[in-house]
Amino acid sequence: MIPAKTKQSYSTTTTGQKVRFMKNSRKHRIKSATIGWSFVVLAVVMICTFTFYPMVHAFMMSLQSGTGTNLTFVGLDNYARLLKDPTFLTTVKNTVIYLIIQVPIMIILALFISVLLNNPKLKFRGFFRTAIFLPCVTSLVAYSVIFKYLFSLDGIVNILLMKISLISEPIQWLTDPFWAKITIIVAITWRWTGYNMIFYLSALQNIDYSIYESAKMDGASPIQQFFKITIPLLKPIILFTSIISTIGTLQLFDEVMNITQGGPGNATMTISQYIYNLSFKYTPDFGYAATVSYAIVIMIGIFSILQFKVAGDKNE
Amino acid sequence: MKKIFALLLASLLLLSACSSESKTTEEASDTEKETNELTVWTWDPNFNVKAINMAMDTYNKENSKLKLKVIENAQADIVQKLNTSLSSGTSKGMPNIVLIEDYRAQSFLKAYPDAFFELSSYFKAEDFAEYKLAPTSLEDKHYGIPFDTGVSGFYVRTDYLEKAGYTVEDLQGIDWNKYIEIGKKVKQATGKSMISMDPKDLGLIRQMIQTSGSWYLKEDGVTPDLGDNEFLKEAFTTYKEIIDADISKPVSDWGQYLASFNSGETASVLTGNWMTASVKQEASQKDKWAVVPFPKQSGNANSVNATNLGGSSWYVLNISGKEKAADLLAKTFGSNVDFYQDINKEIGAIGTYKPAAEGEAYKAADEFFGGQPITQDFSKWVADIPQVNYGAHTYVIEDILAVGMQDYLKGKDLDTVLKDAQKQAEQQIK
Repeated sequence: MIPAKTKQSYSTTTTGQKVRFMKNSRKHRIKSATIGWSFVVLAVVMICTFTFYPMVHAFMMSLQSGTGTNLTFVGLDNYARLLKDPTFLTTVKNTVIYLIIQVPIMIILALFISVLLNNPKLKFRGFFRTAIFLPCVTSLVAYSVIFKYLFSLDGIVNILLMKISLISEPIQWLTDPFWAKITIIVAITWRWTGYNMIFYLSALQNIDYSIYESAKMDGASPIQQFFKITIPLLKPIILFTSIISTIGTLQLFDEVMNITQGGPGNATMTISQYIYNLSFKYTPDFGYAATVSYAIVIMIGIFSILQFKVAGDKNE
Repeated sequence: MKKIFALLLASLLLLSACSSESKTTEEASDTEKETNELTVWTWDPNFNVKAINMAMDTYNKENSKLKLKVIENAQADIVQKLNTSLSSGTSKGMPNIVLIEDYRAQSFLKAYPDAFFELSSYFKAEDFAEYKLAPTSLEDKHYGIPFDTGVSGFYVRTDYLEKAGYTVEDLQGIDWNKYIEIGKKVKQATGKSMISMDPKDLGLIRQMIQTSGSWYLKEDGVTPDLGDNEFLKEAFTTYKEIIDADISKPVSDWGQYLASFNSGETASVLTGNWMTASVKQEASQKDKWAVVPFPKQSGNANSVNATNLGGSSWYVLNISGKEKAADLLAKTFGSNVDFYQDINKEIGAIGTYKPAAEGEAYKAADEFFGGQPITQDFSKWVADIPQVNYGAHTYVIEDILAVGMQDYLKGKDLDTVLKDAQKQAEQQIK
């Protein structure tokens, strides 16, 4: 009622009053814009100083090379060096191996567990959910250290496997190039599966149960329900988790640093650890380290676009 | 309502501005004030921290009262903190005195010129072991006061040796072939591994090549010397022979390394003398250990039974308080024979100050090692360590070689491995 009344009163005002009103409204708009900006200006300044300025500065740095503070401008030399650097290429290879093996395993596992836990007939659901999510609240360093001891040569994993006679000699989980990669993959899967599961669980609870009911009435088996209903409806979440996991894996650092230190040789070294080594372990070359970190930025961009192209819906 | 909110926001801003301001003035007055407190960054509470605290006590007996604030961190963390602080160019929060490992010293001295305080006039360089001077100085200026030697020893379990039919005398002046032979016998007789090795840590290789006076770099300290380095080649071959002979136990970190001999799983430890404290940690193994000279390389007539692993020196940062810090170091580590006797008795530290070797403590017998005067033995070997130029790139090359080692163990041709490592090192070191 009230808006109609005001509208009516506007239309009956004289032209002079109308002009004054327009002036008022312009002033009003400027005023509200200032108030609006004053709310966000702090955040904008903060983001600029703490995110954009370092990004630009890091890019400038990636065009320089030298030890410590003696940096000189070298243009794109660092990027050329990057493509010829065998250590960098190995770290990229390792990271991609983690990515293409670990991310699918983890996503499938998380999906599977979340569907199981979403079953309303399951007893102790809360307990299982907590148990599977619990690894995510442990500190990265703490769990890495524990994994290192579990998988050491005379650690509990080897003892267990030997006691049940699956192996006769202890496996060199941490000192053999192949098994060290397996150990890292096992560790990160343990740590992050529960995290992804929570996303799926919340998405599953948003799926209307009547869809399943009607599918059941039409005679769809549980497997058909899973592939024809659950998966398509979870697609945006699957896309989201796989992008998040990809980014996380590309930035993998804590686990490798603490479990194997990148070894043996550089069989498990990740790109992030290489950046650390370039800056802090070797004679510091911050310029080249910045170049390597830009390589990660570019790779994350490419992978994310790829995933959108493969999994994303056109109408979204 | 809006006004109240705006007021609240403004006061919040003001408040935070105030608090940060008051903090900075406080800090500023702290550095301006002539305090007698010096900050020290170092690692290893049983060794370096005790040493610097003892230095303070010794100094305070005769001089003005200095107070030390010793911040203990892992070595890797200190290296990281130093790198970040020095590259940011701020002197705030920096220590006055810092301990740096000799292998890394050049990288700091070269990367941050002017960050360290020159100590040439505070101590007589010629009083120290020569091999410590190259890493601690740059362009003939001395920046570090040499501290402990990393002279290596061959710690061995005498009881295991006996079971295998050997005595300590049989181990004097041996080469690596003999070492492997003994290792096989020990394994046969006791079932214990002769040595534990971490594939990520090539300390053993470093020690082997230094017995022949060779290093990862040529004498200029810049040019990689890997591709045509016959001593390195021999060291790689020996390393593989040890693994093939099945007398080694793989470990993957320092804790496991210490545990491997504390638990009695391995029969010998080949490392720097600073390991003495950790060997002694297991009191039940008293009288079961001896220290003999490090094995030499068989392929080189000039190889000696003495080498080095690690060792570090004290540096003073070029910030206010530097004169006091330098004076403290000069009057203790730089010149005090009695002080060296004290730290040897207390923590088993062996300095590289030559006059200190004449002192009483250095001649004392060590009960743990069955009465062997180990300090005297170590000091004797210090004199024989071949001098090499560590340069600034030890750990870059070591990571490259660790990869090469894995390839070699998997069966790649050794010459190719070392040639590839040479090429890669040349690319990395600029």
